[in-house]
Amino acid sequence: MSLLEINHLKKSFHGNEVLSDISLSVQEGEVLSILGPSGSGKSTLLRCATFLETMDYGTLSYDGEAATVNNASEPTKYADKDTIRKLKNNFGLVFQSFNLFPHYTVLKNLIDAPVSVQKRDKDEVTKEAIALLDKVGLSDKKDAYPDQLSGGQKQRVAIARALAMKPKMLFFDEPTSALDPEITAGILKVMRSLAEENMTMVIVTHEIGFAKNVSDRVIFMDGGVIVEEGTPAEVIDNPSNERTKAFLQKMDVK
Amino acid sequence: MNRKKFNKFILPALLVAIATAVSFTFSNVSQASNSKSDNDDNTFIVGFDAEFPPYGYKDDNGEYVGFDLDLAQEVCNRRGWTLVKQPIDWDSKDMELNSGSIDCIWNGFTMNGREDDYTWSSAYVDNSQVVVVPTNSDIKELKDLAGKVVIVQADSSALAAFTGDDATDENKELCASFSELQQVSDYNSAFMSLESGSADAVVLDYGVANYQLKNRGDKFRLLEEKVSSEQYGIGFKKGNTKLRDEVQETLNEMLADGTFDKIAEDWDLSDSVCLGQEGADAVMQAENDAASSGSSSSSFGYIIIELLKGLLNTLAIFFLTLIFSLPLGLLVCAMRMAKNPILHWIARVYISILRGTPLMLQLLVVFFGPYYLFGVSLSNSFRFTAVIIGFVINYAAYFAEIFRAGIEGVPSGQWEAADVLGYSKSQTFFKIIFPQMVKRTLPPVTNEVITLVKDTSLAFALAYTEMFTIAKQVAAANSNIIPLFVAGIFYYIFNFVVEFVMGKIEKKMNYFE
Repeated sequence: MSLLEINHLKKSFHGNEVLSDISLSVQEGEVLSILGPSGSGKSTLLRCATFLETMDYGTLSYDGEAATVNNASEPTKYADKDTIRKLKNNFGLVFQSFNLFPHYTVLKNLIDAPVSVQKRDKDEVTKEAIALLDKVGLSDKKDAYPDQLSGGQKQRVAIARALAMKPKMLFFDEPTSALDPEITAGILKVMRSLAEENMTMVIVTHEIGFAKNVSDRVIFMDGGVIVEEGTPAEVIDNPSNERTKAFLQKMDVK
Repeated sequence: MNRKKFNKFILPALLVAIATAVSFTFSNVSQASNSKSDNDDNTFIVGFDAEFPPYGYKDDNGEYVGFDLDLAQEVCNRRGWTLVKQPIDWDSKDMELNSGSIDCIWNGFTMNGREDDYTWSSAYVDNSQVVVVPTNSDIKELKDLAGKVVIVQADSSALAAFTGDDATDENKELCASFSELQQVSDYNSAFMSLESGSADAVVLDYGVANYQLKNRGDKFRLLEEKVSSEQYGIGFKKGNTKLRDEVQETLNEMLADGTFDKIAEDWDLSDSVCLGQEGADAVMQAENDAASSGSSSSSFGYIIIELLKGLLNTLAIFFLTLIFSLPLGLLVCAMRMAKNPILHWIARVYISILRGTPLMLQLLVVFFGPYYLFGVSLSNSFRFTAVIIGFVINYAAYFAEIFRAGIEGVPSGQWEAADVLGYSKSQTFFKIIFPQMVKRTLPPVTNEVITLVKDTSLAFALAYTEMFTIAKQVAAANSNIIPLFVAGIFYYIFNFVVEFVMGKIEKKMNYFE
C-alpha cells in the first residue's frame, strides 16, 4: 500500500491554474525528488499534500486513510477536522525558511509538539529529542534560542523537530535554498543518512546532483503538470522530454 | 542619525531653541498683564463660567449672554472699552486673573469667604443657597437631607457654605449627615444626576435655581428652607483698585439712571439685586481701609496628603482599566480578525466609534446612558463602575488594533509550522503566536499605558475624585496653583515607574528575536 496517494489534483489561484490533474503516489521507504523551474507548481503540490493549501479537485490519502470524501476528479471535499488532524501525524515538513519557534529553546522546539499535541511522556520525548539533536550534530545547542544559531544549524534543528513527531514520511520544501553552498552540504548529509535509514521522503529541490544521488524516483514538473517521471538515471541522465532537457541544461547538469 | 553628532550639535541647538521660546512666552505674559492692569489697550476682558445661567452662558444661538455680561457690556459702552467675553474653567479662575489673561471675574461671583482674595466691587446681587430636589422626592426640609447624596458645583458658594472656613456649625453638621457631598463641574451634569436618580438634591444659588426650574419644567422643586445667604460682586486682581474704581463708578451711574434695574428686570433678577442698598459696599470699604494681608492657609503637607488620597483613586482606575481592557482588547482583536463577517463588522464598528469619539463623552454616555436611554435609575455607586467601564471599552479599542498589528507581524511560517506539527488553533495562538505578539506590541502598549496614566484625570467628567480633580479643587480653594504642579510631578513619577517597569519587561523579552 502506498503511504501517500494523490489523484487528479487541481489547484487554481484567482482563476490561474497552478496544478492541473496531478496524480502521485509514494511508497513506504521511497525517496522521491521533485524537480522543475520556479512557478512549475512543485511547492504548491507539497503544500496541498501537507494541508497548508486546500485542493480544488481530486483526492488525497495517507497510508490508506482518506483525507477527502469525494470521488477522484470531483471537487475536493475534506473529511472532518479530527480525521485531518490525525492524518497530520503521518508526515513532517521541513520549510525553506526553517520556521523554528523563536521564543522556545532548541530542545523545547523539539519536545513541545510531541508533549502538548501527541500527549507523550515528557521525559521520554526529551531523551529522544536529545538523541535526535546528537544525530544532527547539535546536542550542545539544546539550550540555545534559534536566533543564536546559523542558518544551517537552524535547518538541522528543523529536521530534528520534524523527526521528533515520529512521522512516517518527511516532506522537504527546498530545504537548502536559503543557505550558502558550503552549509548546504551539512543538511544534505543529514538527509542522506535519513534515506539510508529508509525514511520515506518527498524532496522539492534544486540540488540536481543530490536528487540524482539519493532518490529512488524523480519527477520533473513544469506548468502545473508532471512532465517526466522515472529513476534518476532516466529523468536526469537521459531525459526524453524537451522541457526537461532545457531545464537540466540551464541548471548546468547536461 | 549619528548619536555623537546629535549630542554635540543638535541637542544644544534644541535647548537654546526651547529656552528662547520659554523666555519669549514669559516676557509676553508679563507685558500682557502690565498692559491689562493699566487697561490702556482699551479692551475689557471679563472672565466667566459659560455654564452659569442666567449670569453668563451660551444661548441657543451660540452667543454668550447673561445678566452679568449685559452689565459688563453697558459699562464698556459708557467707558468706550471693547468688551471681550472670555469663558474660563471655573477651577482655574485665579490663574486666569493673576496671569492677566482676564481683567475681572464677573459671573455671579460670591464675595462671602473670599473677601481677602480679590479686590471687590460693591455687592450687586444678594443671593442665597437653596436646595433643589425632584418634584416627587420625599425631602421636605433640610434635615431630610440626612443620608442623601447631595450635589454642589466644585468651588461654588454652596460648597463653601458646607465645608468652607466660614461655614456655620449647623451647615457643617448638616453636611456631615449627607451620605455624600458630591462635586460636579457644571450644573447640567448636576441636574442630569438628579434626574437619573444617582443624586438626591442639588444645593445652588437662588438665582441659578430659579433659572433652572423655569427651564426644566416641573420635574424639580425648591425647598423653602435656605442653606445660607450670600452676595455677588465683581472680582478684580488683588490690588487692582484703579480698574475696580473705574468700573464701580460706571455701575453707580447706571444705578442712578435706572439702567441697572432695567437690565436686572430683563433677566428676572429684580428680587435679587442689591447694588446701592445698605451693606453693599461693606467689603469694598473694608478693603480700602485695610492694608494688605497675607492669608495663605494651605500648607504643602496638606496639598500632598489631599493629592495622595486622590492618587489612590487614580491607581484604582489605572489598574482596573489595564486588567480588563487588555483581555477585552484581545477579544475584540480576535473578532476583528475573524472570518465570520458579523463578528468582523461588529468589531470594526466598535473600534471605529470608540476611537473616533472623545473618551470624556464616552464616560458621560456610560454613566447617564442607562437613564436617558432606558429610564433605569442610577445609584451613586455606579459612578465608579461607569468610570471603569468607560475607560475599559475605550482602551480595549486601541489595544485591539495594536494586537492586530502585532499578530499580523508574526510571519505566516509560524502558523504553518504549528499547523503541520498538529497544534490546534488555540494552542497555536496561545503557545506560538501570542508570546511573539506580546514582544512586538510592547512599545506601542507602553505608549498607551503612559497615556492611560494621564487620561485617568478625565474621570472628573463623572465627578469621580481622582488626583487631578482634587488638585484642581485644592488649587481653586486656596487660590494657588502649586497643587497642579504637584499633581504634574506625581503623574511624571507614576509614568517614570511605568516606563521603568515596561523597560524591564522589554529587556526580559529580549531573549528571542
